[in-house]
Amino acid sequence: MEDALQLLSKYGDDAKVMAGGQSLIPLLKLRIASFPYVVNISGLKGLNQIVEKGDYLEIGSLTTISELEENDLVKEKYQALHEAAGLIADPLVRNMGTIGGNVSHGDPSNDIPAVIIALKAKLELAGLRGNRNVDADSFVTDSFTTVLEKGEILKRILIPIPGTNSGGCYIKHKKSAGDFSVAAVAVHLRLEDDERVKSAGIGLTSVAPKPLRAVRGESYLEGKKLTDSTVREAAKIVVSESNPSTDFYGSLEFKKKVLGRITEEAIHLSFERAMVR
Amino acid sequence: MSSVRWEDMDTAYDATSLVRGKGHFVDDIRLSNMLHMSVMRSPYARGRILGLKGGMSSADFKGKLASVGEGASPSSALSIEPVFATGFVNYVGQPVAAVFADDRYRSTDLLDSIEVDYEPLKPVVTIDDALNSGPIHSGMNSNVLVEATQGKDFPDPNTPIVLEDILENDRVSTNPIEPRGIVTDYHNGVLNVWISTQSVNSIKTGLVESLGMNPDDVRVMQTDTGGAFGSKGGLYPEYVIAAYASMKYGKPVKWIESRREHLASTNPGRGVRGRVKIFAALNGKIAGMKGEVLVDAGAYGTGSGGFSAQYIGFMMTGPYSIENAFVTGRALLTNKVPQGPYRGAGRPEASYFIERMLDLLADELKMDPADVRLLNMSDKPFESPLGMRIDAARPFFETAVNELEYRREAKLTKGVGLSFFVLVPALYTGESARIIVKGGRVSVWLGGNSHGQGHEVFVKKLVNEELGVPEDIVTLYRGDTKMTMVGEGSWGSRSAMVGGAAVVAACRKLKGDVLREFGNYTADNLLSGSYDEFVNDETRRSINSFGANLATVEIGKMGNVKVKKCIAYYDVGRALNRDMVIGQIQGGMAQGIGQTLHEVLSYNEDGQLITSSISDAGVPLAEDLPNFGVKIAENRSILPHGAKGVGESPTIGVPTALIRAIEKARGKRLRKTPVMPEDLME
Ligand SMILES: Cc1cc2nc3c(=O)[nH]c(=O)nc-3n(C[C@H](O)[C@H](O)[C@H](O)COP(=O)(O)OP(=O)(O)OC[C@H]3O[C@@H](n4cnc5c(N)ncnc54)[C@H](O)[C@@H]3O)c2cc1C
Repeated sequence: MEDALQLLSKYGDDAKVMAGGQSLIPLLKLRIASFPYVVNISGLKGLNQIVEKGDYLEIGSLTTISELEENDLVKEKYQALHEAAGLIADPLVRNMGTIGGNVSHGDPSNDIPAVIIALKAKLELAGLRGNRNVDADSFVTDSFTTVLEKGEILKRILIPIPGTNSGGCYIKHKKSAGDFSVAAVAVHLRLEDDERVKSAGIGLTSVAPKPLRAVRGESYLEGKKLTDSTVREAAKIVVSESNPSTDFYGSLEFKKKVLGRITEEAIHLSFERAMVR
Repeated sequence: MSSVRWEDMDTAYDATSLVRGKGHFVDDIRLSNMLHMSVMRSPYARGRILGLKGGMSSADFKGKLASVGEGASPSSALSIEPVFATGFVNYVGQPVAAVFADDRYRSTDLLDSIEVDYEPLKPVVTIDDALNSGPIHSGMNSNVLVEATQGKDFPDPNTPIVLEDILENDRVSTNPIEPRGIVTDYHNGVLNVWISTQSVNSIKTGLVESLGMNPDDVRVMQTDTGGAFGSKGGLYPEYVIAAYASMKYGKPVKWIESRREHLASTNPGRGVRGRVKIFAALNGKIAGMKGEVLVDAGAYGTGSGGFSAQYIGFMMTGPYSIENAFVTGRALLTNKVPQGPYRGAGRPEASYFIERMLDLLADELKMDPADVRLLNMSDKPFESPLGMRIDAARPFFETAVNELEYRREAKLTKGVGLSFFVLVPALYTGESARIIVKGGRVSVWLGGNSHGQGHEVFVKKLVNEELGVPEDIVTLYRGDTKMTMVGEGSWGSRSAMVGGAAVVAACRKLKGDVLREFGNYTADNLLSGSYDEFVNDETRRSINSFGANLATVEIGKMGNVKVKKCIAYYDVGRALNRDMVIGQIQGGMAQGIGQTLHEVLSYNEDGQLITSSISDAGVPLAEDLPNFGVKIAENRSILPHGAKGVGESPTIGVPTALIRAIEKARGKRLRKTPVMPEDLME
């Protein structure tokens, strides 16, 4: 890690970090970007573990999407993450692509950011001047832009261990297998003993220039008992927070319609899952 | 001097070598001193070139493209595409300059050394733009490239039912697995060309014309060709540039198209709009049809836009006996890559127009769509007012309704669609074949060249039947203009028909040779000698065939269509090989589903291609495809070996059946392919 940080600081703007290369290499191949130096961090040791430590699940940034998808702990307790991982691209990409790369790329269509937003995760960044933590919802600042500073490497993702009575899911609507989404939503709910929503996390993919946290949708749900009409209302609020644009995947009206439907579905499903825990 | 070091058998068609990864494709050719070519393409749909520095360009070579191959339509000099953009660019992806280096990375890097200064102009992007704006080429009066009428205009019949609708097929990329590619090598005064193609003879004719060469100095050889679907029969600027560069530099030149280049710069198909009006009695009998067909020809007349405008009109009565019909077709110039043939090349469009109207008529009269169709058919052969001749249609289609189990399906399922069509294969001008018998082996060349359909299978069978020699001593070699001095091409559902007929004719000539020599014919006599026969078999009669499709669908809550059933019942004539016929049909059905649900080339208002990657252009995936049902009728044709056409049937029959199934499932009239989820979401 130290060496990697040194190299990055030495070459500055001329260097780019590469993990699994699944986003970076296409950019280089299509000559959309080019860098004199590529710092390949995929061999760094100790950055592919998935462990619960203290209050957090720690995921090393070099954990591949496949490792995430197949991890039993994730499957059991972090369903949204498990589901999102299984819906990313195809097995070839998942075997190479890393969670750190997926988040650091800053692509509003990448699936992991919305999930870690909903799970209220923190990201641990390493730099020569030391480590710092940032909240998942402030990590990506715009299309393909993050708070990562020159010479910084994303080291770990820290997800608060969900308490009892909580559950979540990730619903991704896509045209064909292997595609990016038309729209996708991650929901994580924690319930009170009386089934009221204690806390809600909602993250959105592909419906704004960056992955979004549906802040108003979350606070609308908090303290409420879930009925069909509150869920419908929550979905409406979430849609109003989105800002999709018309493109080949569909018009913005279509994307909003899709988002509304999957959000309703995701809140219902998360609630059911929280109830059985 | 270098040459391709392929053994004799490496130049034969052999499907088993393909599945073993041992094919011989154009990109497999490596010659010493070979240069790789990269092409600088226009980033603008329309613009003036103010300055250009670096690379090879129109300053070096001023040639124009020749229009050759399927649907070739000689057009006015003003609309012929220059090899290098000259003065102006007229579509995104148009070749402006070329650079050469000893490997592909380096030639791609060299593109950065070219400086072009453009003054962007407002492009004409859509059919409506073309109708409403001034001409894209100065010197022309309008954007109408070709205007043609079919049939005779007639006074509107006085019928109680008059229905009119506007129907559209958006542009579709041909998207073969292997994009285009060429290797050129000029030495000792001869231009040798290896190319992925449907027709070595078309490519040769085109190069000879564009470069002003002597035909004897050009030899075109086909490599294994990984699909084409219409896009590899004609001439393209890159071929002429590569040939010119090899002559200029005295070195072999290779150009291999990338997928992005393919989507932007290879002639796509479809891109048509029809306004169709039908006049009918209350019992459903159609008294007349009037149509107006508009083809988005793209920027130049060197594609097949001009041809499409006439050809679609010609077939627009389908299998129905409509006594009055009149169609005006216009091909319109737009600032997009020129339109070209795509599996069906006008046939699917014509069928789409008439079939959509028959469904509309059925709905209007609350009749069953099968009944309305059968009612408008004849028990006798029919010559349409547009000039298309068909056999008695009703008997075939009555059987089709049963074979497809349509009536049962219509009771069980809401989303069911049925389509009927006539396949008009491109038999004109026949095909050539050459057979050489030597050393106990039979070697065959065809003028039309397989691009993955497996012509070797029918050739071996026909040679075996005609000459009584075992199939395993018969070899079909890939196209080579040295072996067939004339020839047409493999497209338009024609190969087994006219290619097969040519093989049979050549075999019969060989038999005659043996007979004259030995007094009787036996296979042993034949194989003991050396013979060489060439025929150019001209089949001028049209031999059409009928087909029908059934599709059923369910629509998900996000407007996603699940195809449940997709069944074909086609008359293929005598099936020379059942598995090959079924394979053709299944592959074509996948493409029919692709066109209906996924595939499109979309351009924004600046004429920029939005669908510039293969995932956006939307090829059908395994998950989109149902278990196909294929049933075939074998009514022999008048050809000696009994074959009829098949290759294009599924791309004609599937879109029309499928869009109807979706329309029924959704309860909403549909007018355009592809049908997008957002059109269907409630
Ligand atoms: C065909 C295809 C389909 C895809 N479909 C999807 C999809 O449906 N959903 C989805 O979410 N993703 C999809 N992806 C993207 C894929 O998931 C990501 O490319 C992958 O997860 C990124 O990880 P990587 O390790 O390959 O990143 P790289 O390509 O190595 O890097 C991506 C970016 O992140 C930076 N980076 C990487 N790691 C770090 C780090 N630890 N610290 C700081 N910066 C870093 C790099 O500098 C680069 O800018 C698809 C990709 C392909 C090729």
